[in-house]
Amino acid sequence: MVQEEDLELYRSQLLDLRSERPSRSVRGLLDPIQVYVNERRVGELKGAEIEATLHVHGVDHIETVQLRTEDGRLLGGLVAPESGFRTARVQFSADTVELCVQNTVQGGSLSAVFIPAPSFWNRTWTILADIADRWMVRRPASTMAYGIRTVAFTQVLLATAVIGLVADRVMIWIAPEHIVAPTAQAEALRTASIAEVEQLAKQLRELRLMQTKVGDALQSQEKGMTLLHQTMARLSSTQESVASSVVMVKEEIEKRQESTEREADRPVQLPVGRGVVDQEQFETAIHGLAADNERLSKQIAGLEEHNRTLTAKLQMAIAHVAKAVEQNPERVVAREADVARKHQLVPVADSRQNTQAQPFLFWVTFSEGTTQESIDQWVNGMKGHKGSLNEGWQEVQIIPPPVPPDLFLEQIKGDKIIKEARLNH
Amino acid sequence: MATMQNTLRKSHIIADRTATVSRLEEVVATSDEFDQVVAQALPILLDRAAGYTKRFLRETGQWNDDIEHEKFALRWGSEYLERFLVCGRTEVPCRPLFLFDSLVAKQHSKPEPFCYHPDLLKPLGRFLDGLVARAVVSRDALIALYHHSYGWGAGDVIAVTGLNGLESQRIYKNFRRWRESGWQRTMDEIGLTKAELVELESQRQRQRQRFNSEAERLIRVAQGHYRKSEPDHYPCLSRSQWGEMFSQGYGCDYRIWHLALCLDCMQTAWGLGSSESSAEKPRLELQVRP
Repeated sequence: MVQEEDLELYRSQLLDLRSERPSRSVRGLLDPIQVYVNERRVGELKGAEIEATLHVHGVDHIETVQLRTEDGRLLGGLVAPESGFRTARVQFSADTVELCVQNTVQGGSLSAVFIPAPSFWNRTWTILADIADRWMVRRPASTMAYGIRTVAFTQVLLATAVIGLVADRVMIWIAPEHIVAPTAQAEALRTASIAEVEQLAKQLRELRLMQTKVGDALQSQEKGMTLLHQTMARLSSTQESVASSVVMVKEEIEKRQESTEREADRPVQLPVGRGVVDQEQFETAIHGLAADNERLSKQIAGLEEHNRTLTAKLQMAIAHVAKAVEQNPERVVAREADVARKHQLVPVADSRQNTQAQPFLFWVTFSEGTTQESIDQWVNGMKGHKGSLNEGWQEVQIIPPPVPPDLFLEQIKGDKIIKEARLNH
Repeated sequence: MATMQNTLRKSHIIADRTATVSRLEEVVATSDEFDQVVAQALPILLDRAAGYTKRFLRETGQWNDDIEHEKFALRWGSEYLERFLVCGRTEVPCRPLFLFDSLVAKQHSKPEPFCYHPDLLKPLGRFLDGLVARAVVSRDALIALYHHSYGWGAGDVIAVTGLNGLESQRIYKNFRRWRESGWQRTMDEIGLTKAELVELESQRQRQRQRFNSEAERLIRVAQGHYRKSEPDHYPCLSRSQWGEMFSQGYGCDYRIWHLALCLDCMQTAWGLGSSESSAEKPRLELQVRP
């Protein structure tokens, strides 16, 4: 139970701590602001009423940026994008820190600018300059000299008042214990004339008015600066994207050029390759045609030879017939009638006899290791006889087969001992 | 009657909680809207972050059902909440609840997201862990670490680290702020009660040597973890390197940050500062109070 109470108390403490608005936490005027990137301290911004800048570049990507006081309170920060820019304004009291984070492929970079609240002198000077400007603008040329004199007088008057105020502050700062007693102040007031008091009051009113105007001017200036920064950030972003686009376009152009060159090379190579292939095909075809031509020539020569033999046989037969007719004229009529009958059948019978009489020649090579005995057996099986042997090819003569020659050759190629078979050597 | 009132109150609380969670799941468009929505949901977000931390500890085999572990989970939940409150404003438009969940998940996906050691959950360990953890994010705590470790005052720190006049003024300010508010705030954040602090002080007085040797053992664990948060270019150096830095007068930040967070380097660099050359090398003399 005690432990539960202890835990609940701790939880409440933590919630109270977190409920404090970090941006409103008290920071000493001159205290530096600690800058953390990815929860590591990388430096500090000297917040001593002057503008200060911190630039951080790293190989690592920036994930978070935190600004802390010297006592460790978190004043503000931002979560960086994966890539690109992000800006943020962290405001505490009147001071501002502008953060700009950029993440690229090369790494991350941070720019932190401390912009202090304008000092009293700065504000006064701005007021005076503003008033002088207005006078210069509004007054016509004839009254210019008078206007300048008035402005100069006012400036001198204000400067005196301001120096007095500053001297007073310095005195207080040097000796804080030495404070003028209220009674002495009252005495001084009494001794001053009413006119002086009124004049002072008037000056104070004018000062207040000027201060208000300056405040307005500063606000508008701040807005302008914010817009300017945003525009610059956008411009930088655009510039970066344009630069990256240019690089991409260049790369693309280079790639295209390379590919174009490659394509330009390719057609030169292709026809060469194709030409070689075509040439080879042509050569093969020519070789085939030559071989066919040679084979046909041989066939024609064989046929002519055969034709001549037949013609000679016919002549001999005619001569035999003539002799026989002269020796036995009675039988001639019968023989002529017989011959005439036979002659009617000659075209068919002659062709059949010619076909049957002419042996079928073909050439074969035998598989390696085939014995002569096996070859003889095979030839006997085919009812044929061997012819000449030329360059490993064996001529075989058989009775013409009942199937077409090509089919017959295919059939004998199926035999084990036959390696190759063809009609001509 | 009392029971009925309790029941009614509880049902109101549940209804409010549900409504708040629903609001957190909706899109917020501006930073001010973010602040407004989140400010109303701090207890829910704290419990949520603590729940995630518990789960992480359970899954990594580092959880025990005791108050020390509960406090540890709450402490880290609170750390995450602080970062969310500040950085989440720059993420608008967003759905705060999902953004918060992603932030915690991102933290837990890092190697060793926090310094866990069972002995660092006890009062002495918690004190040291809280002190060193704070020193990483607060210069006041960093400078005060010299006091808590060795019992030194601002003058000693300036002498040991060989600082110049301008830096010296800052050291005095760091000490003053730490005494005024920094120490108490740190004790609140680590959840050390007054009774626990009294007991630590009592142990220190009764068993000085044992107390300091135990403290030295634990502070080495904590320093080893949190020194990683230093800049990468702040590694341990040899005596000659430290000597060169001291004699040439550069690396003020290096000296201040590293020597506060490294007992060994303090021994190594001892005597290189302006006034302590004849003194004995420093040993850990833990101070509980600022």
